[in-house]
Amino acid sequence: MRRGDVINGYRLVSEPTNAGGGKCVWAFAEKGGREFFLKRFLEPKLPRAGASPDTPSVRIRLAACRDFEERHRGIMRRLRPDARGAGNLVLATDFFHERSSYYKVTERIDTDSLAEPHTLEPAHRAVLLRTLGSSLKLLHDIDVVHGDLKPANVLVQRRQGATYHTAKLIDFDDSYLSGRPPGRDAIAGDSLYGAPEWRRYVQGDELVDEPDLTTAVDLFALGLMAHLMVTGALPGHDERYGSPADAVNAGEALAWDPRLSDEMTALVRDLTAWDPGARPSVERFLAVLRDPEVCALGAPRASAPPVAPSRTSRVRFSGSSGGSGGSEGSGSAGGSGAGTPPRSAREDADEAPRRSRVRFTPRGGGAAHDSRGGRDERRA
Amino acid sequence: MSAELERYRGNLRYAVDIVLCVDATGSMYPVIDAVKRSALQFHQRLAGVMGRKGKEISQLRLRVIAFRDFGDDPDSAIEQTPFLRLPEQAEEFAAFVSGIEAGGGGDVPESGLEALALAVNSPWEKGLDRRRHVIVLFTDAPAHPLGTVGVAAQSYPRGIPRTMDELFEQWGYARSQTAVMEQSAKRLVLFAPEEEPWVETIGEEWDLTLHFPSRAGEGLEEFEMDEIIETIANSL
Repeated sequence: MRRGDVINGYRLVSEPTNAGGGKCVWAFAEKGGREFFLKRFLEPKLPRAGASPDTPSVRIRLAACRDFEERHRGIMRRLRPDARGAGNLVLATDFFHERSSYYKVTERIDTDSLAEPHTLEPAHRAVLLRTLGSSLKLLHDIDVVHGDLKPANVLVQRRQGATYHTAKLIDFDDSYLSGRPPGRDAIAGDSLYGAPEWRRYVQGDELVDEPDLTTAVDLFALGLMAHLMVTGALPGHDERYGSPADAVNAGEALAWDPRLSDEMTALVRDLTAWDPGARPSVERFLAVLRDPEVCALGAPRASAPPVAPSRTSRVRFSGSSGGSGGSEGSGSAGGSGAGTPPRSAREDADEAPRRSRVRFTPRGGGAAHDSRGGRDERRA
Repeated sequence: MSAELERYRGNLRYAVDIVLCVDATGSMYPVIDAVKRSALQFHQRLAGVMGRKGKEISQLRLRVIAFRDFGDDPDSAIEQTPFLRLPEQAEEFAAFVSGIEAGGGGDVPESGLEALALAVNSPWEKGLDRRRHVIVLFTDAPAHPLGTVGVAAQSYPRGIPRTMDELFEQWGYARSQTAVMEQSAKRLVLFAPEEEPWVETIGEEWDLTLHFPSRAGEGLEEFEMDEIIETIANSL
């Protein structure tokens, strides 16, 4: 794959690179007078033509390719470019294989050179964040988790003559249905923007299962991105932690920029709650941003001490209170708020090195039974 | 385990292992210094890129396999290090890399596939939370088919595949039962000419492989080192 090659009718007009991508090579391409973004996947690879389908190796690889195709075509069916509001999603226009490799094509987006959204006026920041939230809402409405929400996957665009910048969401290749993520070793995600439950899943925490990885994974990243796009920086955390999610998993409060409005502070605090069930929906995010003034920065104030989110805590201990589902509410959950892990987890962190041993809110509205017999999981 | 790693073990911890397979035959003479310089700068450049992205690697190990040609001189055909932890073992790493001299090899092809097979069978890190296992191979020549040249030599590596198909099965693919590398961790970056086995057999058919064509007499350009670093940094 090199500049000038023609792949399925697409002529590459730039030198292929893997810049910004971990498992692909991409280039700009031209076909029929239009410009595109063409991505070559590094996996899976189809067996060479003529390979016998009777060998186990070829059978396994063909099956993996079928699943890959099905997943991509499934997402393409669900995310139609002509769907209402889909204008801010950069969707695939073509998906094919040539020889052993798979390729995906999207329209080419000419992005604005805006590198620092926080330098915009508050109203402009609000529009940018709302277009991002609206894009995410489209995904969440059909129960799809983006799975790798981060600045590199948000293109900022301002059309000629337009007043406002808008955000275009790209790269749905790691998307999955809510509650049905890929395996722990295979799931994608960014070490900086990953949610607490994503990190626990990756780390093999047996108390975080596939159903715990929902659209709320994106909401955590959205909270971080909102803070970044308004202030120019991510929320702070103790330097012992490698990321905001690591700090949150340890029960440590993140440090919000003291110039943030009260509304924005509350919004990003709630979005970055430890408990996925405690995070507000995208609808709530959009509702708060209806008032552009929430994106204004005031004079620095003394940082308020971390406070628990105002909603009722939905954190439960597995199997506590005689196996009836555990306590509900911050007091009996070890003194933590809704968005933070119970005290036991924080003690674990302080005493390092023990991981949080607490389940999230049970799904399906039932009592919080410990699936393994009600054993107290606060201490292994 | 380093003090850095002990800092807070609740953090998500990334282990990065990199094997550099370097063609050290005579034809690489014009570029071997550039390859060596890049190898020696690698740790700092990677750390710089990761730092700018606000990320960090918990453990970084590098291994070097310099290869020539078993058909020319079996005794000098492979020189290698074990995995060396950086920055702790930077001096040992630098001493080995600095000592690589381009020479020998006779005519093309060379023994690049033996080096690749050794790399695939490296003792990769299996711990920590997430891993990246990256093989980077630099050559300006095609390779002898595995198991055809120098097999009887005392210095020929034991226990490596004797055919390309066997090596492919060791490299693996999703759901493979025979792979020796972890599917979600592995990457292969080839700086190799558009000749076999690099361009089609491996470059096109192996998964998670990036092939950047090299030309005799041209070295490791700046953008190429960036590609390697991007491969690692973007996948963490």
